[in-house]
Amino acid sequence: MTELLIEQIINGIVAGSVYALVAAGMTMIFGVLRAINFAHGEYYMLGTFSAWYVITKLNISYPVAIFLAVIITMGIAVVIGRLVMQRLVTAPFQSGVLATLGLSLILQNLIIITFGGTYKIFPGGWLEPVFFGEISLAWQRIIIVLVTIGVFIALEFLVRRTRMGKAMRAVSQNTACCLVNGIDIERVVLGTFVLGGGLAALSGVLTGPINVTVYGGMGEAITLKTFAVIVMGGMGNVRGTLIAGWILGIAESFVAGFIGLQYRDAVGFVILIGMLMVRPTGFFSVQSRF
Amino acid sequence: MSSRFASAVSVAVASFALSCSVVFPAMAQSDVVRIGIVSPNTGAAARYGAFAWRGAQLARDEINAAGGINGKKIVLFQGDSQCIPTEGVSSVQRMIAQDKVRVVIGDVCSSVTIAMQPVVENAGVLLVNAASSNPDITYKAGVGGFKWSFRNYPTDENRASVVLKYATEQKKIKKFAVLSVDSDYGRGAIVLTKKYLGEFGAEIVSEDYYKDKEADFRPVLANIRRSGAGAIIMYGLADTTPIIARQMVEAGLAGKVILIGSAEFNNPEAIKIAPTALNGAVEAAAYVPEWDTPKNHEFVATYRKAYAGETPNVHAYAYWETMRLVAAAAKEAKSDNQDDIRKTLSTMSYEGVMGKVTFDDHNQANLPMILFEIIDGKPVIKGTFNTQIKYSTR
Repeated sequence: MTELLIEQIINGIVAGSVYALVAAGMTMIFGVLRAINFAHGEYYMLGTFSAWYVITKLNISYPVAIFLAVIITMGIAVVIGRLVMQRLVTAPFQSGVLATLGLSLILQNLIIITFGGTYKIFPGGWLEPVFFGEISLAWQRIIIVLVTIGVFIALEFLVRRTRMGKAMRAVSQNTACCLVNGIDIERVVLGTFVLGGGLAALSGVLTGPINVTVYGGMGEAITLKTFAVIVMGGMGNVRGTLIAGWILGIAESFVAGFIGLQYRDAVGFVILIGMLMVRPTGFFSVQSRF
Repeated sequence: MSSRFASAVSVAVASFALSCSVVFPAMAQSDVVRIGIVSPNTGAAARYGAFAWRGAQLARDEINAAGGINGKKIVLFQGDSQCIPTEGVSSVQRMIAQDKVRVVIGDVCSSVTIAMQPVVENAGVLLVNAASSNPDITYKAGVGGFKWSFRNYPTDENRASVVLKYATEQKKIKKFAVLSVDSDYGRGAIVLTKKYLGEFGAEIVSEDYYKDKEADFRPVLANIRRSGAGAIIMYGLADTTPIIARQMVEAGLAGKVILIGSAEFNNPEAIKIAPTALNGAVEAAAYVPEWDTPKNHEFVATYRKAYAGETPNVHAYAYWETMRLVAAAAKEAKSDNQDDIRKTLSTMSYEGVMGKVTFDDHNQANLPMILFEIIDGKPVIKGTFNTQIKYSTR
C-alpha cells in the first residue's frame, strides 16, 4: 500500500510538472498584462506539433527538435505578441478575454486545416523504463521533473536578479510609475509573452513522447487545468506555481488511482472553486505579486 | 460620390451572388442525390471520421462512375460531429436545413447517433447508421419508435459475451479490470459484460472510464498492476489505444495483462509503437481488412488504389458499404425520395461484403462480427458470430 502511495505521488509530480511549466508562463503574463491568456495551451500544442513536424518530415533527432520546437513557438509568439498582446496593455479586461479566446480558435483550426484533425503519433523520446523496486518510470518522466525544477530556479533568478525580471515586477505593480521611470511596458509585455510561450512549448515537446499523440485540440484541456494552478499558486506568483502544479498533479493522480479515472478532470475545477471561495489570493501570499 | 458608387456596386454584386446561391441549388436539387455524411473529423475519434469520409467518397465515385442513382449523380455533404452529441445534432440540422439533404449516414459515436435519432425523425429524413454499436439505437428504432432510423452495423448485445467467453475459456483468465471510454458505447458495453460475469465465472476487480481526451493512464495502470487482473476489458477509442499500450509497456504491464474488447487493437501504428502490449489482444469487430472473401479482396484493392496504398479500417468499410446499400435501395425503389428508400430498405435483401443483409422490424441489419486475436503483430481471425438478438428478452 505504501508503495502504491509512493507510485501515485510520483505520477502526480510528473503530471504536475507539466502543468507547472505551462502555468508559469500564464501567471507571468497575467502579472504584466492583468489578462488571462486563454490561448496559452495553444503554445503547448504548437510546441508539440513543431517537434512532431521536424522529426517526422525533416528527420531531425528528438534532442534537436526540443530546441527547434521552442524556437519556432517563440517565433510565432513574437508575431502574435506584436500584433495582439502588446495592444492589450491599455485595453480593458474584456478585450483580453475576447482576443485570446479568438486566438485559441484560430491557432487550433489553422493546425487542423494544415495537418488534418486526426491524432498523430509522436516519435522519439527516452522511453526505456528505470526500475525503483516495483515502480518503473520512463527516463522521459524523470527528465520532465528535472527540467521543470531547473526552469523554475532559472525563472526565480530572472525575476529577482535581472533587469528584465525587475522590469516585469515593476510593470505588474504599477504601470504609471514604469512610464515615469522610462520602462518600456510594451517591450516587457512582449518579452514576458514570448518567454511564457516558449515554456509552454517546452512542456509540450517534453510530454509528447509519454502522451504519445499530437492533435490540434490538445492545448484546450491543459489551459483549463492551468487556471486551477495559477489561482492556487497566487496569480502572478512564479514560485507558488510549481508547488501548486505538483499539488494538482498529486491530487489528480490520487483521485484517478483510488476513486476512478472518470473523476480526474473534476479535481482541478473543485480546487479552483474551493480556492476562490476560501483563499482567492492563493496559498502562498496575502496579495498576488511576483 | 465614388464611395456611394462603390457601395451600390457591392450591393448589386452581393444580391446577384445571393440570388445565384438561392437559385442554383434549387435547380440542381432535381438532378443530383444529396447525401449527408456525419462523422467525427476532429477530436478524440478523428481517426474514425477520416476513414469513414474516405470510404464514403470512394463509394460515391464508384456509384457515379457507374451512372449514379437512377441516372442522378451523388453529391456528398460533410458534417463534423467531433464525437460530441450537440455538435452532431447541429451539423445534421445544418445539412437538412441548408444543404437540403434527405439521407444522412452517420455517426460513428453511439452517443451522437442516439442524439441525432429524434432530429431526423422530426424532419422526416432517413438516417442510416453505419458504425455505432450501442444496443439502445436499435431498441428505439422501427417498431421501437423511430421510423426513420436504420442501422447497418452489428449491435453490441452479443459482443460482450463472446469476448468474455473467449477470454475465460481460451485464455483462462478469470479476473478483469475495466478501462473503457466514458460514453454510451463504452459504458453500455460494460453493462452488457456484467450480465455474463456469473455465467463464465469471471470477476471485475477494478472499473475505470476515461474521458475522450485523457492522455495519462499511469495512475490507473499502477492499480491494475496490483489488482491481479489478467486482462483489461476495453471498449474504447482507437486514438487512445496507442497511448494506453505505450504506457502499459512503461508501467511493466505489457506481456502480463492483455487487452480485450474493441478499440482497434489491429491498428498497425499502435502495434508498431507498443508490440508487446498489444500481443494477445482479443477484439470483436464488424470488419477486418484480412476477411478472406473475393468481394473483400476486391474492396481492399480498390481502396488501396484510391488512397495511396492505405489499408481500409472498419469505418472506411462500413461507410463505403452503407453508401452502396442506400444506392441499391434507391435503385430498387426506382426513386431517390427518402420515403421510398426507407420502405425499400425494410423489405430488400442486399448482398454485401460481410454477407446477405436484411433488416428486422427494429430496422437493425443482421450482420456477423469477427473475433480476432493479435498474434505476432497481426490479427488472426478466430471465428465469426451472429449478432441477432431477441428483443423480447429485455
